[in-house]
Amino acid sequence: MDGSCCGPGYASPSEAVKAPQEKLLYSIAIYTGTGIQKPDYLATIDVDPQSSNYSKVIHRLEMPGIGDELHHMGWNACSSCHGDEKMSRKYLLVPGVRSNNIYVVDTASNPIAPCLHKIVDGAEIKTKTNLSGPHTVHCLGTEIIISFLGDAKGEAPGGYLHLNKDFEIVGRWENSMGDIPFSYDFWYQPRHNVMVSSEWAAPNTFMPGFDLEEVGHLKYGRRLHIWDFEKKKPIETMYLGEDGLIPLEVKFMHDPNSSHGFCGAALSANVIHFWKSSQDKWEWEKIIDVDNEPHPDWPIPIPGVMSALLVSMDDKYLYINNWLHGDMRQYNISDPHNPVLTGQVWMGGLLGKAPIVNGVKVTGGPQMYQLSLDGKRMYVTTSLFSTWDNQFYPEIRTKGGVMFMIDCDVENGGMQINKDFVVDFGKEPNGPSRCHESRYPGGDCTSDIWL
Amino acid sequence: MNKITIANRNNTIFEVKGTKPLLLELRSQGLDLPYGCQYGGCITCAAKLIHGEVDQRSQVALNNRQINDGYVVLCVARAKTDCTFEIGVESHDKLYRNPFIDPLSPHELKSNIAILKDKINESP
Repeated sequence: MDGSCCGPGYASPSEAVKAPQEKLLYSIAIYTGTGIQKPDYLATIDVDPQSSNYSKVIHRLEMPGIGDELHHMGWNACSSCHGDEKMSRKYLLVPGVRSNNIYVVDTASNPIAPCLHKIVDGAEIKTKTNLSGPHTVHCLGTEIIISFLGDAKGEAPGGYLHLNKDFEIVGRWENSMGDIPFSYDFWYQPRHNVMVSSEWAAPNTFMPGFDLEEVGHLKYGRRLHIWDFEKKKPIETMYLGEDGLIPLEVKFMHDPNSSHGFCGAALSANVIHFWKSSQDKWEWEKIIDVDNEPHPDWPIPIPGVMSALLVSMDDKYLYINNWLHGDMRQYNISDPHNPVLTGQVWMGGLLGKAPIVNGVKVTGGPQMYQLSLDGKRMYVTTSLFSTWDNQFYPEIRTKGGVMFMIDCDVENGGMQINKDFVVDFGKEPNGPSRCHESRYPGGDCTSDIWL
Repeated sequence: MNKITIANRNNTIFEVKGTKPLLLELRSQGLDLPYGCQYGGCITCAAKLIHGEVDQRSQVALNNRQINDGYVVLCVARAKTDCTFEIGVESHDKLYRNPFIDPLSPHELKSNIAILKDKINESP
């Protein structure tokens, strides 16, 4: 599937762009918090336009128990071990944020119908590493690290679980958390010996839902952390202040020589750009500021809630979402200091700009997205996190989530919602579920890193 | 033994010892209940207490408004008396609120950061 002569992935980002078009997509879907007493599951979606099942869920792998809240996931291997012929991109690691279990799913034996290969038991993770609230999964060559947002009792800052290639617990990855108050997402760029991590909040703070007052009580993050990747310890903090309230997703450019990266500050609805200056100093600046929007029922203007962010494989475009406003945006970042808005589409949201898309009433807004390696097809889902969905979009209980596809113009810029693609998770056999993160079997724009 | 009545399940009655969390006691007797973290941190298992008294001191998920509205985190709560509950998402009408439209007062925050009413009145 990876189309390589040796290990998984691709020799370079430019090789990855040339990969064959994806035919399958894996997306997690949850029942946790919906009132339906069924397990969360991994859905296989047919995205081959030539197939009679195009735009349909063609398989559902249910987790063994209920209440996991599947959220993000990652591959056992990526282009970081392209040169290792013993490795293959075979397993998807799917953590349950609430249960603490890590499900290792075999997607290679039968790509249409993935099966459960192993469970890294959540209780064992707590006992051996004192971690809970798993989030981002990255592979490190042949090994795997997963960020956790809390200790075994759900208090910040959590840390990093280290698994070996057989998915056995090695222990904690980091040598020190320094004075980091919160954890969330991370990305690393080995040629600069750097990792950058961001901050959401303690599991005990964000899992029950969002209380705005807790931002003022400093229960939510507002910093980025620069790590010495080899020494596995944080060395510098960027305090973003009011410009960087709740900095969530963090991505470096795919070019392994680049030191430029981006973070979306969800509550401030700003994009933070960071880079290493010619004096080897880490710098940051705010490059995109989405204004809050007035709403007749709200006492204060609605913040965008920029909950995710993605860089195209060729590093030309940055994509952001505004979950409460309802728009997805494309920026040309050829000059990362001066992004240029080149595309925007609307789906759902609270501003009423696109309540119905492709015949489906959207409850929620654009929230998680995955971009094809060639940069032309973006798959977008609408649910954020069960308790937060319930607060901002209560109708999602009965309507469920939905997946759309956006056609992205990689030559001239521009975005358009594809009229032929819609997966309505409100119509799932066990009742309305909520779809979240997606992955392609051949790798994607939010997993592969080059050494 | 305490009697636990589930009001929105035809007033079905379960007898519990009060030595284990209600989630465990009720599930072991066949009541289907949602749950997540199982340590009192995530409110997936929240139910509404209509009558009775529980000990849920170890919960860390609920803010004081949710507690005042009767919500109980079943995965850590133990029954101290006979209790009547509404369970499942049907009982969650007041559990979730838009935090911008309906903000919390200082005394309604989670107990570790709440400012009690007396304290507010005392301040100049």
